Amino acid sequence: MIDDPWRQWQSLFANSLGAMASAQTRSAREATSAFGPFVDAAERYAAAVRSFVAGAAGTAASGAATPGVTPEPSATAASHAAKLFSDFLREQFADVQMPWSAGINPAVGAPRAPSAREPALGATREQQLRLQRMANAWLRIDEAQRRLQRHWSDALREAATAFATRMKPPPALSAEEMRKFYNAWIDCAEDAYARTARTEAYCTALAELVNASSEWRRELQADIEHWAKLLDLPTRGEINTLLRRLKSVEEQLRDAKGEHQPHAAAPLTVSPVAAAKGAAAPSAVAPGAAARQRRDPAPRARPVKRVRRKSKS
Amino acid sequence: MIGDGLRAALAAANDCAPGCSPKDAIWQAGKLTLYRYRPIAPSKGGAPLLIVYALVNRPYMMDLQEDRSLIRGLLSEGVDVYLIDWGYPDGADRFTTLADYIDDYLGACVNRILAAHRLDALNILGVCQGGVFSLCFSALYPERVRNLITMVTPVDFHTPGDLLSKWVRKIEVASFVGEGNVSGDLLNQVFLSLMPFRLTQQKYVDLMSQSPDRARIENFMRVEHWIFDSPDQAGAAFREFLLWFYQENRLALGRLELAGRTVDLRALRLPILNLIGKLDHLVPPEASAALERLVGSADYTALQFELGHIGMYISARAQREVPKAIAGWLAAR
Repeated sequence: MIDDPWRQWQSLFANSLGAMASAQTRSAREATSAFGPFVDAAERYAAAVRSFVAGAAGTAASGAATPGVTPEPSATAASHAAKLFSDFLREQFADVQMPWSAGINPAVGAPRAPSAREPALGATREQQLRLQRMANAWLRIDEAQRRLQRHWSDALREAATAFATRMKPPPALSAEEMRKFYNAWIDCAEDAYARTARTEAYCTALAELVNASSEWRRELQADIEHWAKLLDLPTRGEINTLLRRLKSVEEQLRDAKGEHQPHAAAPLTVSPVAAAKGAAAPSAVAPGAAARQRRDPAPRARPVKRVRRKSKS
Repeated sequence: MIGDGLRAALAAANDCAPGCSPKDAIWQAGKLTLYRYRPIAPSKGGAPLLIVYALVNRPYMMDLQEDRSLIRGLLSEGVDVYLIDWGYPDGADRFTTLADYIDDYLGACVNRILAAHRLDALNILGVCQGGVFSLCFSALYPERVRNLITMVTPVDFHTPGDLLSKWVRKIEVASFVGEGNVSGDLLNQVFLSLMPFRLTQQKYVDLMSQSPDRARIENFMRVEHWIFDSPDQAGAAFREFLLWFYQENRLALGRLELAGRTVDLRALRLPILNLIGKLDHLVPPEASAALERLVGSADYTALQFELGHIGMYISARAQREVPKAIAGWLAAR
């Protein structure tokens, strides 16, 4: 049993992060790279809490012991300690990876991308233009990521300010008190993030990131498609064409069967195997057929008293 | 040490399988499977209830484990329960549209159940996006639905509190989806980013801070499994859903067309029970509550629970209240 609350906190983080990695079926190597910084952060968190509590309590004690000292310097010092602590938390969360920076790697297309301002000439003109568009998209992605990062930073700064304002040093520091600090920080951070994430500027930056990423992917796909054709490999475009044709044939087949009427389906069977083997395609109605088979709505004749219960806890 | 015990408990819970109630697969088409749950209590004699789950995430959340199962709760109340499992779409399903899902697949499931029971209409419980599908189907084929229950279902996609909707508005949907499917992992990232501090940090700290109780750990791991077991989304249907619902809000505005027909919610004159999570961060309560002003039903009931989106399926409180509310409401009709 570990008695020291800081050691408890550190141990808790270290074990939790290892377990999280296991739960997410990542390799130990990935776990180390992904979660190692958090273990380190937990240690720094414990140190920051201790510094805050010791600083605030020490200042208050010296203020009380010194005749003629007003409470204001003590409060100011406590506030300063709180600010240091909140700034620490802000810095720790600044590097948390968000969706906008996960799974997107524009650098893949960047090295061979020519400048967008170069003229595209010659036999490979179309390829040059495509690469230029990829380069443009990459620049847009990069810019959007920077804007989102600034919003993230602003949200963390707001959270840190709110956290510092509401912080009070506890009478005695325990693991439970450390948890309370942590939860209070999470509350402040979520509140600040929720406000930021709803702003027009944030939504615009996020949309720009998605749209630029979509464009970059589209150009990359087109490039790969081009090379696949040269090598006479099957392309996504060809497969999509075949899928569309197949879907169209299936729809015509279902439409011809006219299975969409009530009771038209085959009787149910409780045998999964029999059901799987004997199952017809779902009774389908192609758009035109749906319109042909339209029925007038049949309002229920039974008038029922309107029931309203606004809330039930 | 706490850490060692917790680590061992988590590792032991790695393979906890979700799902507890026996069921039979009675029909399959493409990736879809229609299940019927085996009864565990005498039937109340009402029409069967078809649960229409969302395409996003897997339907076993409705039957996670014995003490966290909405389906088990319904079976205990004598309800005859069917469930649609949409499966995991792959590249061959990329051109599957909303009309395919709603008009064809859902319609075929309804037809088969009606034929088996020799009924004209059944009850439907639509969950989240599945609730949207259920509303559309019921509006298109009102004669086939006796009672409609919607659960954490968005109807008005442009309410002020809908963060997801705000994010989606300026996205070029056609370009984003392209001609492929949309990754379930990507969607997960988006959902996590709605509350990143709680969902990627605090949740795990909370887990580690408590005792390594086996039942609690197993429950946590099943939910964790469910959260990250996200099917890819068929591209065409996803594109339509984002564009028509999130961006253009067609359902609420009465401008939605499916398979060549207008989906008019005013045509819904059947009894409707709307179950709303007051703490839902994915589907804000007002997005669901909007249903009341849009439908033509004279028998509309809204129940609000002090629960979040996932809590509506699996919280202890939901187990006590939601199945009874549904069964009681059905029994009265």
